[in-house]
Amino acid sequence: MSVHGLHIRKCSFVILGAILMAFAGTSFYNSRHLREPVVLSPGVTQVKKLSDYFPGIKGTINDSNIYILEGTEPGGTILILGGSHPEEPASRLTTWILAENAAVEQGRLLVVPSANRSATTVTRLGGAYPPDFTIPTPWGGQKFRMGDRWSNPLDQWPDPEVYIHYPSRQELAYVDIRNLNRTWPGRANGTLTEKTCYAMTQLIQKENVDIVIDLHEAELQYPVISTIVAHQKGEDLAALVSMMISGSEGFDIGMEYSPKALHGLSHREIGDHTQAISLLLEAPEPFLDATRGRTDRALLLEGKDEFVLRAGKHGLLFEKMDEDGWPIDIRVGRHCSTIIYILELWSEENPEKAVVARKIPRYAEVKEKGVGFFLRDPTKEDPKNVYFE
Amino acid sequence: MIMTILYYILTGFIAFLIIWNLLKSKKWQEEILYIIILMPFLLRLFRLK
Amino acid sequence: MSMATSAQIILAVMVGTYLIAKVFKVSTELSMFAAALAGAIAGGFGIPARHIVEGAFTYLDIVLIFITATLFMNLLKESGGVAYVIRGILRRFHRRKSILFVLITFLLLLPGALTGAGSVTVLITGGMIAVVLGYMGISKPRTAAIIFILASLSAAAPPVSLWAMLTAAGVNMPYVGFFLPLLLPCVLLSLIVIFILGWKGKPVDLKKALEELPEAPPRMNWIRILLPFLVFIFLVLAGRIWPHSLPVVGLPMMFMVSAFVSLLLSPIKLNFLKISRDTVHQLLPLIGTLTCVGILVQIMTLTGVRGLIAITIVTLPLIAVFLTLFFFLPVSEAVLMWGAAPVLGVPLVLLFNTIGLNPIIALAGMSVIWPLGDALPPTAIIGRLTVQTVGMKDSYARMLKHCLIPAIIIMVVGTLMVVFSKKLSFLTLL
Repeated sequence: MSVHGLHIRKCSFVILGAILMAFAGTSFYNSRHLREPVVLSPGVTQVKKLSDYFPGIKGTINDSNIYILEGTEPGGTILILGGSHPEEPASRLTTWILAENAAVEQGRLLVVPSANRSATTVTRLGGAYPPDFTIPTPWGGQKFRMGDRWSNPLDQWPDPEVYIHYPSRQELAYVDIRNLNRTWPGRANGTLTEKTCYAMTQLIQKENVDIVIDLHEAELQYPVISTIVAHQKGEDLAALVSMMISGSEGFDIGMEYSPKALHGLSHREIGDHTQAISLLLEAPEPFLDATRGRTDRALLLEGKDEFVLRAGKHGLLFEKMDEDGWPIDIRVGRHCSTIIYILELWSEENPEKAVVARKIPRYAEVKEKGVGFFLRDPTKEDPKNVYFE
Repeated sequence: MIMTILYYILTGFIAFLIIWNLLKSKKWQEEILYIIILMPFLLRLFRLK
Repeated sequence: MSMATSAQIILAVMVGTYLIAKVFKVSTELSMFAAALAGAIAGGFGIPARHIVEGAFTYLDIVLIFITATLFMNLLKESGGVAYVIRGILRRFHRRKSILFVLITFLLLLPGALTGAGSVTVLITGGMIAVVLGYMGISKPRTAAIIFILASLSAAAPPVSLWAMLTAAGVNMPYVGFFLPLLLPCVLLSLIVIFILGWKGKPVDLKKALEELPEAPPRMNWIRILLPFLVFIFLVLAGRIWPHSLPVVGLPMMFMVSAFVSLLLSPIKLNFLKISRDTVHQLLPLIGTLTCVGILVQIMTLTGVRGLIAITIVTLPLIAVFLTLFFFLPVSEAVLMWGAAPVLGVPLVLLFNTIGLNPIIALAGMSVIWPLGDALPPTAIIGRLTVQTVGMKDSYARMLKHCLIPAIIIMVVGTLMVVFSKKLSFLTLL
C-alpha cells in the first residue's frame, strides 16, 4: 500500500474511533450530570448538607443533601438512607416519596436520597446497565440516574490490591473500598467513600439519631432478601415490625440478625459505633441476578425475567418469582410500609422519643397508583422549593 | 489526592505511548487495536468515565 | 420469541462471527470485537457506543498493572540485572536440584500470591526462572508449562485470591477463613507439579551456562537489583501494615516506583522512552485481549447471552455440576477472565450454600481450578504471556500438552475440595 493510502486508512480508523468515543463520552457526561429534582414537601423544614457535620466532605461530589422534616412536638429522630447502593433504585425512589410528600407531627425525620452520590453517577463495568430510567408520572415522567454499587472511579482512584476495613482490619475485596455499605463507620482522613460514612456517623451522633434505616434491594439468589437486617439493639423492634407487616400489609418481610463478624456494613457498624439502632431493609430486584437475561430499563422497572424465573423453578432463589415479576411500585411500596411500621411501633414503645409522620403512602397505595403518582412536577413549583440531587 | 494526580499522569503517559505506536504502525489490525485500547485511556484523562 | 430463543440466536451469531473472522485471519482480539458488534446488532441494539466503551473500561486497572510491571521488568533486563541474577542463582545452586526447585516454587508463588495476578508472577520472576530451567535441560514447552501452572496457583494463593474475593464480595461473605484452604492446595500442588514436570531436569553444566549467558555490566551488583524489588515489597507490605495511615498506592504505581528505582540504579544508560514504547508494543495482544473481552462481556450481558450461559450451568443436576466444574470453570475463565467470578462463582456458591456445603472451602476449591483457564483460547492471556516471556517458538499446543497432567491433578483436587467441603470445614477455623 502507498504511503498516501496508508495515511488515509489510518485516518479513517481514527475518525471511526473518535466518533465511537464522542457518542460514548457524551452519554457518560450526560448521565453523570443529569439533574434530578426534588420538590420539597411542605413538611420539609430545613435542607442541610453533609458537610455541615464534617467539613472534610465539603466541595466533593458526596456532599449530599439532607432533607429534614420536623414536627411541632419534640420527639425522636429517624434517619433514612437511600442510595447507599444506587443500582438499587427502589431505595432512592422511596426517599423521594418521603421528601416530596411526608409531613411530621412529632419528632424528626431526616432523609438522604443520595447517600453515595458519586455512585449514582456511574454504571457498572460489564454490567450493561442503562444510563438512566424514567418513572411515569401524571405530568409526564421523571428521569433518574441509574447508578452502581461502588463510587465512581472519577471521584476515588486508585483502588488498593486488598481493602482493609477501618477499624476492624478485616480484609475485603479491593473494589469494596468504594462500597458505601462496606466502609462504615468511616474514617476522617480516608478515601471519599470512607469520609462519606464518617460524615454520616457524625450526623448520627450530632443529631442524636435514634434509628437509622438503610434502604436496599437484593438479587433473588441472595439469601438476605425481603427482610429487615437488624443490629442486636433493634432486634425486638425489627421482629415486631416483621410480624405486624406479615399479618396485615399484603406482603411478607422477614427479620435477620446482623452478623457480628461481617464488618463495614451499616447494620453492624452504626449500631456498634453510635447510639442509634441500625436497620437495613432489603427488597427483591431481579435486575441484579447473575442469571438475568436481557439487561434493560424494562427489567429494571418491571422486574420480569425468564431466566430468573427458571432459576426459581429449580429452587435456586430465596424469594418467589413468577410471571408478574417484581415491579418497582411493589418494591418501593414494601419499603414505604416497612418504614411506616417502624415509625409506629417505635413510637408506641418510646412515647417520649416518638416520630409521628403522615402522608407516607402504604404498600397497597403505591402498588395501585404507582411510584410516579407521588412524584411532584418541579415546573409547577416555586424554584426555591426545588432541590437537585 | 497526590496519588490520583500521579495516576492521571501515568494514564496520559501511556496514552501518549499508544498514540506514538499507532502512528508508527503499518498493519491495519494493529492500528484498530491501538485505537480500541486508547479509548479508555483518553476518556479517563478527559474525566468522562 | 422467548428470551432463551433470542439469546440462543444472538449467541449463535456471535460464535459464527468469531469463527468467520478467524477464517479470514483476523486476530483473536479483533475477532472478539467483531463478535461483540455482531451480537449487539443481532440483539437489536445497533452499535451501542456507550456499552462498547464501558466494556473497554472493564480491565483498565489490570491493563495498567500489566504495562507498569512489564516496564519494570524490561528496564531490569536492559540494565543487565536479569543476566546477573541468573548467573548468581546458577553459581550457587547448580548442583542441588531439589533445593533449586523449592526455591523456584517460592519465587514463582510469591508475586502472584501478594498481588492476586498470575501475570505478575510471569513478568517478575517467570523470565529469569525460565532461563535457569533451560540450563537444566528442560525443554521450552515444558518450562512454559511449569511457569504457567505455578503462576496460576500463585494467583489463587492467599493472601490475595481475586476469584475468591470477588465471589465472596458478590455473596456478601467476608473474605475470612480462606488462608489455609487456599494456601495448602496451592503450595502442595505447586511442589507436585514442579517435581513432575522438572523430574528429567539435570544438574546445570555451570561452565557452559556461564559462557553462553550474556555478561552483566561490570558495575552491576545485588543492591542495584534487589533494591527495586525491596521497594516494591515494602510498598505492598506498608499498605497492609499501615493501611489507615498511608494513601492508597495501588499496584501500577508500586511498579512505576520500582521501575524508576531500577532506572536510577542501572549501571548503564537506558533509553526510558524507547523501552516504554516497546513495552506497550510488546503487550498489545494482551492489552487488546483484555479490552476486547471487556467489550464482549458487556454485550453478552446486554443481550442476555451471559444470563443464558449462567442459568444453563446452575440448573444442571447437582452431580453434573460437580462433574463439570473442571470444565466450566476454566472455560468461563478463558472467556470472561475474572468476570467469571461474578457470573458463575456467585450463583454456584449460593447453590452450594443452599445444599449445605461449606461455601469457603468450596470457593477455595473452585479458585484453584479457575486460573487453569488462563491458558485456553479465546483469551489464553497468561498462557500467551508465559510463552512470550519464556521465548518459546514451538506451537502453543505443545505447552498445553505438558500442562495436561498437572491440570488434571489440580482439577481433581479442586473438585474434591468442593464435594467434601463440609468435612474440610476445620481448615477455615485454623
